[in-house]
Amino acid sequence: MTNADTVTELRFEPPAPGYWERDAVHFPRPMTRYWQEVHPAAFARGTGDFARFYGMLVGSLGSAYVHGFGYRSMVPVADEEVPARFQRAAEVMQGKLWREQLSDWDERVKPDSIEAHRALQSVDPAGLSDQELVEYLTRCRDHHAAMIAQHMRYTASAVVPTGDFLAHVGDWTDVPPAELLGLMRGTAPVSAGASDELERLIAAFEADAQARELLASDDDPGQVLASLRALDGETGEAVSGYLDLVGYRLLDGFDISEPYALSMPDALVRAIQIAVAGRDLEGADVDAAVADIRGKVPEQHRAEFDELLGEARLTYRLRDERGVFSDIWASGLMRRAVLEGGRRVAERGQIHEPVHLIDASFDEMCSLVADGSGPSADELAARATERTTRAPNAAPRSLGDPPPPPPDPSGLPPDVARLMRATGIALGHLFGSSEAEHDEQVLRGLAASPGIYEGPARLISGPSEFDRIVTGDVLVTQSTTEAFNILLPLLGAIVTDSGGLLSHSAIVAREYGIPGVVGTREATGRIADGVRVRVDGDAGEVTVVE
Amino acid sequence: MTGAPVDALQRVPLFADLNQRELKQIARLFKRRTFPAGETVVQEGSGGAAFYVIESGEATVFVAGKEYSTLGPGDYFGEIALIDEGARLATITATSELGCYGITFWDFRPLVEANGVIGWKLLQSLARMYREARAG
Amino acid sequence: MKGTVPLVKAHETALYGSKAVGLGQAMRDGLPVPPGVALSGAIVEAVAAGNDRAIKQVAKTARPLGGPLAVRSSAVDEDGADASFAGQHLTLLNVPSSEQLGAALSEIWWSANSDSAISYRQRVGLFTRPSVGVVVQALLDPESAGVMFTRNPINGADERMIEASWGLGEAVVAGQVIPDSYRIHRSGEVLQRTPGFKKIAIRTLPEGGTFEQEVQPELVEQLCLDDGQLAALNGLADRCEQIYGPARDIEWAFADGKLHLLQCRAVTRSGS
Repeated sequence: MTNADTVTELRFEPPAPGYWERDAVHFPRPMTRYWQEVHPAAFARGTGDFARFYGMLVGSLGSAYVHGFGYRSMVPVADEEVPARFQRAAEVMQGKLWREQLSDWDERVKPDSIEAHRALQSVDPAGLSDQELVEYLTRCRDHHAAMIAQHMRYTASAVVPTGDFLAHVGDWTDVPPAELLGLMRGTAPVSAGASDELERLIAAFEADAQARELLASDDDPGQVLASLRALDGETGEAVSGYLDLVGYRLLDGFDISEPYALSMPDALVRAIQIAVAGRDLEGADVDAAVADIRGKVPEQHRAEFDELLGEARLTYRLRDERGVFSDIWASGLMRRAVLEGGRRVAERGQIHEPVHLIDASFDEMCSLVADGSGPSADELAARATERTTRAPNAAPRSLGDPPPPPPDPSGLPPDVARLMRATGIALGHLFGSSEAEHDEQVLRGLAASPGIYEGPARLISGPSEFDRIVTGDVLVTQSTTEAFNILLPLLGAIVTDSGGLLSHSAIVAREYGIPGVVGTREATGRIADGVRVRVDGDAGEVTVVE
Repeated sequence: MTGAPVDALQRVPLFADLNQRELKQIARLFKRRTFPAGETVVQEGSGGAAFYVIESGEATVFVAGKEYSTLGPGDYFGEIALIDEGARLATITATSELGCYGITFWDFRPLVEANGVIGWKLLQSLARMYREARAG
Repeated sequence: MKGTVPLVKAHETALYGSKAVGLGQAMRDGLPVPPGVALSGAIVEAVAAGNDRAIKQVAKTARPLGGPLAVRSSAVDEDGADASFAGQHLTLLNVPSSEQLGAALSEIWWSANSDSAISYRQRVGLFTRPSVGVVVQALLDPESAGVMFTRNPINGADERMIEASWGLGEAVVAGQVIPDSYRIHRSGEVLQRTPGFKKIAIRTLPEGGTFEQEVQPELVEQLCLDDGQLAALNGLADRCEQIYGPARDIEWAFADGKLHLLQCRAVTRSGS
């Protein structure tokens, strides 16, 4: 739990000259030392690449960590490069060059990445000698760094067409951005977990009654997965194929401190159950929504609306694919390797728990595995405790002097202005720096129980709906009574419309040590059932996470 | 008057072969309980604490979400969970206001242990349920 | 038949349960607890079983309280600290008179012997038969009521945290409104007065039971406690701490201009 005393001792200084903004969206918690070493250079490389490809007036984005909390800054492009950037921006907008990036991704980069992940994945770290493990850790680290850069390289193509769409439709109508983004649904099946492997899995289950029975059993989820993998023939192979694809993906976040899917068999079994049970009929809803919004656009712009929407929907899936097939997988593989190292070092009595090796720097990890030299067991344990208990609201929103305002877009060549606007809106949406848009997504209430948790919201009106709750859900309800107590072991967080810090919901959230935000007034009205939310019980905020 | 009235238990097949004195002894262990219409009396999967005999009103039995049967005066339910301290096998909902007499297992168990006739009848109930489950 | 005593004479938790004895002790210590009677587990069970003598005895003991009545369970073998999870703290507000106590006691007995209550007890290692006593008190019709923690439960700061709303305090306990929020330093200095959003007030019905009354618009966001009342609450917190120790969770009500203590138990955890 948080230690109030430690918080007041931390001083936050700008990590380097310039203006640094806290990125609490991507890095809500303090990051590991390993991440702090690896991320900045890769991030700068990847962002520099996309800025150059798109002709942006950005040199690159910087990332830095203060007491483990992530901050980012912008490095402007050098003056002499500006003309080349202007020209490139024009080419991009006229030629819709994001399509080039998209086909590059589909035809070369994504398949190559998957091959690289599989190559590392096929090595069993447990079978390596200590020296081989150190080499393997290095391979995994280098791969992870490359994948972080790759993730960022494709950011603009995920973001520019969407931002362009939002910018134009925002000018033509007053439909809020969150609602406009709803029109992207159905175009990002990867976010929903789809893949060829999953399709194969669904087909295999449809044909195999024994497998369906196994899936429905009440056995321990780890057992269920093992039994499914062990089935003869098509089903067993389909299950293995699926698990090989998704097994090492981090379930949340980006750091090696996060668990990957295979370490939470409950989540995997649930995902398979849901897939096998059938899919959402989202398509129908979206068409109606599109028609509705199109109707609000003035007639002379409707053709352009269709074009912009088409481009946005084409590239939208890159938003998640660029992470899932790049660093979210690579990070899981690195974690696996580090945990094997931790296991050995713990066996030798040099650290208290295998997982503490996660808090070593990369060099420390290698030396501990190679010859046992490095930080003491107590030191690593202390780092782990500090990192997981440091209060997030200690970190200020920004450090350093605010920069001069960006150039008035109206003075720039039209394509450049358009590009800047598109990127600004989309990045602002991603990073939440635009207050107005951010507020569309953020609900505020009383900070009833500390901690941060992200998971699916489940709107429950009363005991008759209790069976809809699944382990890890965020309970969203008007208020709670003691009847709700039986749900507590399943919940990740609690959000209520009414109630104070001394109400039942607040008390039980604190008792159970799960984040709680009460008295939001409108949670049940504004949060849709099933959307992913982040509950920040320290700040008293609930954010709908796209 | 403490407990259930003897004629509320008389019609219950489980107690059919008991004489008046034995019935009176058993009836004293019961307590009246009323459930409003629509209330869930017993929830499938939850632990069981009491066995009930219906005196008035009607209830519906659901197994795995599907309607299975209805119960009325003279019917009883809830005994299996008390026998093996396991989970309730069905969900039972009061369709009208349901007047019951209930007995918790601290009283139910000695009752069964002391009276072989009741024990035998419970076995017959179980056998019937088992047969029905296998057939369905 | 033994088993009914005026609340001020409830001493044995094995007979009357910890809530009754706690309130009785508070009364003996001069704290402003509304008058009431404590009923033992045995007599509650006898009433639930339909024993006429027990029913008559209970009615007779409670008659002096008049009506309406607040009837609360007082479990015998769960200590106050863990009891928040038992789900057995059934409170029946507004039983119109002592004549209707039989049905109320029966409901409380069954609640303590329900499937979920028994399962919960077994999970926490209690395999014995539950025994549930009952506290019957005159029901207040408060102007405002709520909860006070004598120490801030979120950050452990040495200040009183008070949440208050119009009408019966169940609105605050059950989280049905966004209550006013006050923080007072133990010196009496008021550190915070934040109006809530108190759209409803829980009020009693003449025939028994309670209902949710819509609060007049101008009162929804108006503070329901004035400085005099805050000072009285701070004083009450002080006395409770002196008698029982630090970190108390207090339920209180202002009725007829006076401050009443409805509950005083240990805070189970201080949020850290």
